[in-house]
Amino acid sequence: MILHVNHVRPGHAKLAGDVVATLLSLLEDGRVQSGILQNLDVHLDWIQYKTNFREPIIVRKAVRNDEVLPMIEIAIDLRQIGETNLRESLAEVLKTVDGDRVALEPFGPMRNSVVWSFNKLYWQYLPDWERVSGKGYEKALPGGTSDGHNPVAIKDSANKFWTLLKDMDSKGQLPPEIFVMEIGVGTAERALRWMNDFKEQDREHGTQYYPRIRFLVADYSIATLNRATERLGPHGELCSFLALDALNPFKSLSFLRYKMLYIHLTNVYDNLPTDEIAVRDGKYYFVQVRSYLHQSEVQKICEKFGVPPSDFNRTVTRLLEVGPVHFSEVDQGMAFWQAVWAALHLEERLVAVDSLMEAPLPPGMRPSHVEEFVGDAADLRFHLSSGAVESFSNTIPLLHPRGFLEVQDIFVAKVSDYLQGFRGPGKLDGSILNWVNGAMLAEIGRQAGYDVHFAPFRYREKSNTSILYTTQREQ
Amino acid sequence: MNLPILPTSVVGSYSMPSWLERLKTEYIMRKISRHDLDEIHDTAVKAAIKDQEMADVDIITDGEMRRDNLIDYFAERLPGTQIDHTSKKFYYDFYESVVTGKIPTASLGLVDDFKFLRANTSRETKFCITGPHSLVKRIRNEYYKTEEDFALDIARVMNMELKELVRAGARHIQIDEPYYSGFPQDLPFGVRLLNTLVDGVDAHIGVHICYGNRYGRPSWAGNYQYLFPAILEAHVQQLTLEFAWRGGEDLELFKEFPGKLEVGVGVIDVKSDSVESPEIVAERIRHALKFLPPERTAVLPDCGLLRLRQPVALGKLKAMVQGAKIVRKELQG
Repeated sequence: MILHVNHVRPGHAKLAGDVVATLLSLLEDGRVQSGILQNLDVHLDWIQYKTNFREPIIVRKAVRNDEVLPMIEIAIDLRQIGETNLRESLAEVLKTVDGDRVALEPFGPMRNSVVWSFNKLYWQYLPDWERVSGKGYEKALPGGTSDGHNPVAIKDSANKFWTLLKDMDSKGQLPPEIFVMEIGVGTAERALRWMNDFKEQDREHGTQYYPRIRFLVADYSIATLNRATERLGPHGELCSFLALDALNPFKSLSFLRYKMLYIHLTNVYDNLPTDEIAVRDGKYYFVQVRSYLHQSEVQKICEKFGVPPSDFNRTVTRLLEVGPVHFSEVDQGMAFWQAVWAALHLEERLVAVDSLMEAPLPPGMRPSHVEEFVGDAADLRFHLSSGAVESFSNTIPLLHPRGFLEVQDIFVAKVSDYLQGFRGPGKLDGSILNWVNGAMLAEIGRQAGYDVHFAPFRYREKSNTSILYTTQREQ
Repeated sequence: MNLPILPTSVVGSYSMPSWLERLKTEYIMRKISRHDLDEIHDTAVKAAIKDQEMADVDIITDGEMRRDNLIDYFAERLPGTQIDHTSKKFYYDFYESVVTGKIPTASLGLVDDFKFLRANTSRETKFCITGPHSLVKRIRNEYYKTEEDFALDIARVMNMELKELVRAGARHIQIDEPYYSGFPQDLPFGVRLLNTLVDGVDAHIGVHICYGNRYGRPSWAGNYQYLFPAILEAHVQQLTLEFAWRGGEDLELFKEFPGKLEVGVGVIDVKSDSVESPEIVAERIRHALKFLPPERTAVLPDCGLLRLRQPVALGKLKAMVQGAKIVRKELQG
């Protein structure tokens, strides 16, 4: 047995020790087969999210094709587990417990999991969710406010861009049209402030850059774009509103290749589907997931909402297809959705990858990116940030040689940060919260000719946000 | 060998396979020997030649498979240049290099690579070198008073190398100077460098000027207006420019500034994985011929094919040749 202490809070040292003692005592009592311990990895975590997909103790089996491999992992969330139930929980989890679970899907890549359908539904029905829960989505954020709307940060961004234009202008490099884009415009609060600030800076210096701005306002939601159109009314003549897939901006905007001088995203990457890879003893494993609820929880939900238990899976599928309007009363649909979401867990298994060349890496990622990222690490688990990588790779070809990408999000900036704590997924109200593998983006950027930097978000104390920005590598 | 009207060629580099990238990097990390890398390079050059022949390109190169990037192949050979071999970990990066004394007169040893190319094809060949203006932007100068002095001395040494190449049979030589577009204010001294470099070199000399293709994307923005009229003073026969990804607007400059230069017209977008059809290539050539006489027009990709995958690079070369053939046929009535 190997014990991995990934993160322990002060005051929990005894509990960590108890895990080992309990496992050994279960072995002595014959409640655990001795063969299991030989191949057992125990991971002690501290999940910082109050709501997440993890149970206090989970088991991860390793498979290659359909063959179950000897390696087995137990992951224990020391925040959820208590001394009192440690022994029984460990004994229980080391038995086969499938019978207690109602799976919503078969095992598959995390990026294809049904949890992303729940996430998408949340953004589609955000006003209904806010109405039923009685709080705006920003209130659900860890700081109770979005760093995306910080007025000082926005002003700094607008001023920095103006400085770039001024420099280009002095060298005769400024194009007649200045293309700028925000992907994931949300409430348009930031876009409006940014344009106001830029206009003011331009007016103060009399540079006449503002009328040359072509501001592309992009979001995948038409309803959001309609709201943004109204909000950005004062700058309307300079704005174009685009329904755009954040995963592939280039697909819609290839005619603007090498023309964008500034592209901004706030809190988009952390909400895009992702996969995870685990490195164990130097070997690669893809993390596959299966979402499930406990039978007892399904029973409770079915009783409460008058759904026959045999119809539970079908009802969830219809909810994800058509939304809460599947129920005769929307509020009942919303309540059903919230109950399912709250009870939803993710079961994990590790699928051996014999060669990264054949691994299902996301678009924009090559085996060399993963190899460079992992380096010599023999044990590591990390996000591939599949959606973020795809988006990043399909965004940078739009950049003008002097242009830059600015992304405000929660980034894991160093590989070693993955060894020092859990980085998601967590549940944030009805959506998914994941840290973004910034170190991987930096490697992808490096191989594409960009240096990727991370600056801490200095505008709010204790903020986890950082700002990614690109600079062109040497010519 | 008689070349057809609208002769086709390449700008220099051919698709760099990912396996060769890995091996070059392993060489830098001292995981494989120089001897093994040389053999690997020979094999890669033969493959690049084969693809160009299959595409039926008229004037071919060795694909520049031996080169890590635009600079290092020359910096390592330029006499008196000190290279910090620990300064890069990926082959495509640049070495830190410095010149601390006057560059001695000595051979760069390029002739062997040219001879290898000649020995492996019966086609017309071209040898490409990076020009002194681009080299001085990356090699640190700790000796010469000015950048121009430094570059002129490089030009003097490389001039002898070009003459050696001609003695070995080189008939087409191309000088790559992409940094002109990044430093347009340097052009007057850039032309002086060119004239020093090619003085007395008895070959068909072209100069390639683009807006950069490092990492498969442009390094600079702008237009070719800055080249004129100064570039017309260069003692070269051909100017090779990119028009595919940038569009052909700058071709109008040749009406405004007519000269005797041939123009190698870039008709293949090397920054895109999308393979052009022969018809699109033909259309681009026809557009160029509105501003240039056919007898002074050559057909090339915008820049090197280094960053494209091999099937894409081959597909693009085939389309380029087919497009040129369509227009030749039209011209011949």
